[in-house]
Amino acid sequence: MPEITVERLSKSFGQEQALKNISFSVHDKEFLTLLGPSGCGKTTTLMSIAGFQRPDEGLISCGDRTFFDRAAKVYLKAEDRNLGMVFQSYAIWPHLTVFGNVAFPLRIRRMKKDALRRRVLETLDLVEMGDYARRYPHELSGGQQQRVALARALVYAPAVLLLDEPFSNLDAKLRERARTWLKHLQAELGLTTLFVTHDQDEALSLSDRIVVMDEGSVLQIGTPEDIYRRPATRFVAEFLGHCNILPARVATATSSGTTGLVLHGNGKPITLSGGDRAAGDEVQLAVRPEAVELTSDESASGENTYRAELRSVSFLGDHYVYELGIDGLALTVTDTRLFVGPAVTVRIPPSACRVLPS
Amino acid sequence: MTDVSTILQAAPARPGPGPQPRRGRLGISPLTPVTYLAALLLVGVTVVPLLFVFVDGFKTNAQINSSATALPHPWDTRNYTQMLTSAAFWQPLENSAVIAAIATVLVVVLGAMAAFALSRYAFPGREGLFLLFAVGLLFPINAAALPLYLMLDKLGLLDNPLGVALPEAAFGLPITIVILRPFMREIPGELEDAAVVDGATRIGFFLRILLPLSRPALVTVAVLAFVQSWNQYLIPLLVFTSQQRFTLPLAVANFQTQYAQNTASILAFTALSMLPALGCFIFAQRHLVGGFTGAVKG
Repeated sequence: MPEITVERLSKSFGQEQALKNISFSVHDKEFLTLLGPSGCGKTTTLMSIAGFQRPDEGLISCGDRTFFDRAAKVYLKAEDRNLGMVFQSYAIWPHLTVFGNVAFPLRIRRMKKDALRRRVLETLDLVEMGDYARRYPHELSGGQQQRVALARALVYAPAVLLLDEPFSNLDAKLRERARTWLKHLQAELGLTTLFVTHDQDEALSLSDRIVVMDEGSVLQIGTPEDIYRRPATRFVAEFLGHCNILPARVATATSSGTTGLVLHGNGKPITLSGGDRAAGDEVQLAVRPEAVELTSDESASGENTYRAELRSVSFLGDHYVYELGIDGLALTVTDTRLFVGPAVTVRIPPSACRVLPS
Repeated sequence: MTDVSTILQAAPARPGPGPQPRRGRLGISPLTPVTYLAALLLVGVTVVPLLFVFVDGFKTNAQINSSATALPHPWDTRNYTQMLTSAAFWQPLENSAVIAAIATVLVVVLGAMAAFALSRYAFPGREGLFLLFAVGLLFPINAAALPLYLMLDKLGLLDNPLGVALPEAAFGLPITIVILRPFMREIPGELEDAAVVDGATRIGFFLRILLPLSRPALVTVAVLAFVQSWNQYLIPLLVFTSQQRFTLPLAVANFQTQYAQNTASILAFTALSMLPALGCFIFAQRHLVGGFTGAVKG
């Protein structure tokens, strides 16, 4: 059963520590994404699993095979790891036809000619490139080249598929199509997939689980919903979509499932559900713009309901983005309906607030 | 199979309906006449004397003595037919061909291997080693003549084709490595990583990916090595004592001293001896251009 396990992985380049004690695992048939800004260590992690980087510490295994174990001094060479990989630049060989590129891994494995031919054509059909077998890479579009790269990675039925920002060279429209298509294929074939990207939309839409990384550390591991709705740190909250970060102080300690706080920006009280805080704690609240409710009803009142000055509106096709001020505290809110100023009523649902460690 | 060099050249810029660079109505820029003039001058200096060698080979000695520059009247093919039916031409041609083939194969095989190691392996002393090879470019063959002779004598390679081919290969290696190394270096690392992830060893990558991709550069160095060997005069002169082993340049020189009065025959012999190297150049011309300019895009 192919399952990638990474434990306590560390790696330094000179003075700089690229990976600090990274641990996670990719389950069988799972689509796991390493998400983070450039320089966060996601590519170093991927390259360590592929066998192009040798970590300083830790353990990497795939099913019952150990790729790397510092303690036991095990290091399996990249060519013996039997992984499939799609590179950012696709890295298909310009001197070989589409068929030649996809046949290459099988030729290395000395597969018989007839079986090889059948297998290559099957795989090309799978990525919908069957009609292009005789073409050379320069005769293909970016999207087609990417499919060839994917076919080459899949042709020998590798234990795990590694994808290194494979969509970054495609234009926006094509990227969306390629994404849907890949997700479909991955689910259909039950491929165990490790995906690396800095694009939060890609990560959210494709992944079963996401590992958010920054500065060589894992910040949070969870399902897309988990990561988006319950970010563990301010970095995670802000990296995935827009998020209002509101500094506050706990006024009444958590009891019977609610906590009372005072916002630093304007001194207004705010209540949130959950939390486990003592009075006097300094915290940061994370509030997603789309979780905030807007109404033009001036008389509306109740908990977490405020009058707000409408500072600006921008129209983004399927929704509006409002920049509001609640007695000087800036808040970004999105809504599908149009409100006109000068003031609106805002309600921040207690369940929409998430307490981040200060 | 489609030619690799054209693919490599075509890869970065896909032909499209985009705007072409602005030119005059006939596609001639104002600089074109100057370019042509410069090219003509260069051709005049390099090609015209060679042309005389070919053309004068069609004259009789009497014609040459009356006017060396006029066209032959009548054209007389006897000089060429005599040469082409004589062992005095074919024996040295065979000798030259064997030596050039050995030297070229050695240069290309060893040069490609050395350039591979020097371009794609990281090891301490790599740059120093490369410098050592490059310094070979500054080392004139004449300076090596005496020690080379003594060495070949010790090795028992005097009057032996290998005694010529091996030193020629050695002197051909520096330029080969200097040309091949940057070319191989330009080939993107991801192309190598992709081969390795697919299960190829380093040697597998070298043989199946790097060598085919380096074809334009390999043809370039092969042609250079072949022509170098073909025109080499000093080394065969040092090594060979028996006339039946002489290469073409030696045979031509020998012929000149033997038949000093027969200018027309000497010219015909000289002309014929140049043909194979010339043919080799023309055959490889397309690749030569690719070899000097070709960068590989992934």
